[in-house]
Amino acid sequence: MTRTTNGRSTTCFESSGLCRQPVSEPGLTALHPAPRRRVFSIAVLMTALAMESVMAAPAAIETDFDDQEILITLPSGAQTPDNPPQTARDAADRVQAYLTEARSLGDPRYLGYAQALLNSWPQERMTDRLHILSATLDQSLHRFDAARQQLTQVIQQSDDRSQTVQASLTLANLELVQGRYTPALDQCNQLATVFPGLIAGSCLAQVEARTGNPQTAYDTLLTLTNRASGADTTSLLWAEGTLADIAAQLGLVAAEQHWRRVLVLAPDDLYSRAQLADWLLNKGDPEAVIALTEQYEQVDSLAVIRAIAMKQLDHADADRLTAMLDERFAEARWRGNLLHQRDLARYALDVEGDNQTALSYARENWQDQREPLDTRLLLRAAEAAGDDAAITEVRAWLQRHNQTDARYPETRS
Amino acid sequence: MRQRSLSGLTFSLALLLSLALPSAGWAHKASDSFIYLDQTQSQVRIDLALRDLALLLPLDGNGDGQLNGAEVRSARADITRLVEQGLTLSNSAGRCQLVGQQWGLSRHSDGPYAAGRYQVACPDNLPPATLEYSLLFDRDPLHRSLVSITDSQDERLGVLGPDDRTLALENSGSVAGNVLQLFVTFLYEGVIHLLIGLDHILFLLVLMLPATLPLNRRQSAGGMVEKRGLKARLLELVGIVTAFTVAHSITLALAALNIVTLPIAWVETVIALSIAIAALNVVWPILGRKTWKLAFGFGLIHGFGFASVLGDLTSGVSQLAVALAGFNLGVELGQLGLLLVLFPALYLFSRFRLYERAAVPAILLAVGGLSLYWVAERAASI
Repeated sequence: MTRTTNGRSTTCFESSGLCRQPVSEPGLTALHPAPRRRVFSIAVLMTALAMESVMAAPAAIETDFDDQEILITLPSGAQTPDNPPQTARDAADRVQAYLTEARSLGDPRYLGYAQALLNSWPQERMTDRLHILSATLDQSLHRFDAARQQLTQVIQQSDDRSQTVQASLTLANLELVQGRYTPALDQCNQLATVFPGLIAGSCLAQVEARTGNPQTAYDTLLTLTNRASGADTTSLLWAEGTLADIAAQLGLVAAEQHWRRVLVLAPDDLYSRAQLADWLLNKGDPEAVIALTEQYEQVDSLAVIRAIAMKQLDHADADRLTAMLDERFAEARWRGNLLHQRDLARYALDVEGDNQTALSYARENWQDQREPLDTRLLLRAAEAAGDDAAITEVRAWLQRHNQTDARYPETRS
Repeated sequence: MRQRSLSGLTFSLALLLSLALPSAGWAHKASDSFIYLDQTQSQVRIDLALRDLALLLPLDGNGDGQLNGAEVRSARADITRLVEQGLTLSNSAGRCQLVGQQWGLSRHSDGPYAAGRYQVACPDNLPPATLEYSLLFDRDPLHRSLVSITDSQDERLGVLGPDDRTLALENSGSVAGNVLQLFVTFLYEGVIHLLIGLDHILFLLVLMLPATLPLNRRQSAGGMVEKRGLKARLLELVGIVTAFTVAHSITLALAALNIVTLPIAWVETVIALSIAIAALNVVWPILGRKTWKLAFGFGLIHGFGFASVLGDLTSGVSQLAVALAGFNLGVELGQLGLLLVLFPALYLFSRFRLYERAAVPAILLAVGGLSLYWVAERAASI
């Protein structure tokens, strides 16, 4: 996605074609003083300089440790070097297994293993399925343009229907995450013709809900779901997850019920768990948040919400969790925080009370991801930091898409 | 038939389809190792996650899927060999030896690590100049080594990845090196900004025009026509450029150091207006014949224009004075370069009568018109 930002923080999106910039005659545009934003070119240098202020004091080396003590339980499947896959199918099965592990544990190491396998696999032996998996990996690593390109290629060139369905669905989801509703709708429509059912229905409902008609979208999908009594688990997961999201958008209490159903079917769906935890937190039920996030302190998004709940409750464990998150985020910043912006912003805003830091991470995150929770985070951070221009920008985008959400802060007048 | 094929499709896709669902923000960090190099003590410490080591070495001796203290201890020799292969410190005299000092366990935010501290002994007994690291990248391209370097000046952090495996250690010159790099970067930004900022170039051009003219109007108005030589014209030019430079340097510094700030939309409008007025003043001297005074007055406002660019570039830079000095000098260099090209050309043209009669008025008209257009456009967007 090409994005240009001018001095007054208006933003243009290639896809929407709606720029809020004064349009001048093309002949004179060339004579305008050239753009004065060269921020990116020296961002690297600045990071290096800013880093100098970060202290890195390592823990002491412990030489006298117990022979019997269990130090770590090794995750299955990733200990010893594997023999390389022989067939494309074998390679795809392994990549898929890594991606599934990464998703259900929230552990990015598995994304690295998947990347290693794909790197070593010859380009000329790539299949449609491997391209889709590679795109899924790209999306997980926030390489959205690369993902989009591979998926589009499969959709245009593959004659295997199951692969084009998968590619369409993945692309639809990518566009939804990025808030590009027109291309998302194209993919959902495509899906509805070749693979009608609850998944296509969820896809369409999600787009409809985020572009002005959440109530109709909810009602339609609910009817569809109730009618499809014998649906398979995956379809039900899509439908219930989507219903939960739209219900939350509408501010309906039914949201919780839908998320609970998802978690019964798939306890390791971290995305739904995080959304439910957030919903409970907003509802003012921190105890329920603590219970829901009990075993999930390793997952940043859940740990941050848990830390907020603990802070609200003056929980005895709050300081320990905060110290752990401090260390984790310090290491993430040292590494370069590409995948952590959303959680870093939330942590800065609601635990540390550092509004400026929260705003800068939330803004960076919003350039890539525009789901309601990302948008709400940016609105809240901008409000806390008193940045009216950022609020105006986000509100203008919401208005352009006719998007309303009960979770967004009230418009100030 | 259709129904059956669809349910078959659903079945075969079931696992993969769920991967298209949105995922939660990523969790505990990806694989990192930690290298702490202390140049003052000639020591290096490296921490490798047990989980990552298990990818490279058969650590789990009893195959129970867990690592206990004894299993890690018995792998010490293998781990040390791995470190020797994967971590290279060297200087011009060759590769430095790592002499084991301390070995044990450590902990980072994602669990237990094996940690070793080594004395660094280079062949010439001087400190190492390069650090190279290559562990784990083929198993996990997302693996990174987070490096901390302490020398007599300060502590620096760096990150090594599969495409970036070496780090220059720049002994003792690191701080000076960084400052120099910062200065050069901003010097370059200053030059570029002047050269791509059409409004500053046009302003300079308009200021320069009177100095290129062979006739001194002040004297011709008194009835005496005197042809000025190169020296007189150069002197006038130097005066104008110096006034402009002094003025914009003052306000650039004031704004960059946050002593005075003005709304940028207004500044940009006034800058555009200044070009129009300067153009008008050549023909009809409403502000007097002394161009250097005009250059000084409007130079003040141009300084605020430069400052807004500098401000965009310096958020987060600690050595603001260095950045400011570099940027300002860059602007002056750009300006000087421009004069060196433009003035001789215009001086040559000034031999022809057509220059003063037609070319200068045409330039003034064009520049004046364009700048008035900018004034209108910028004022509208305030």
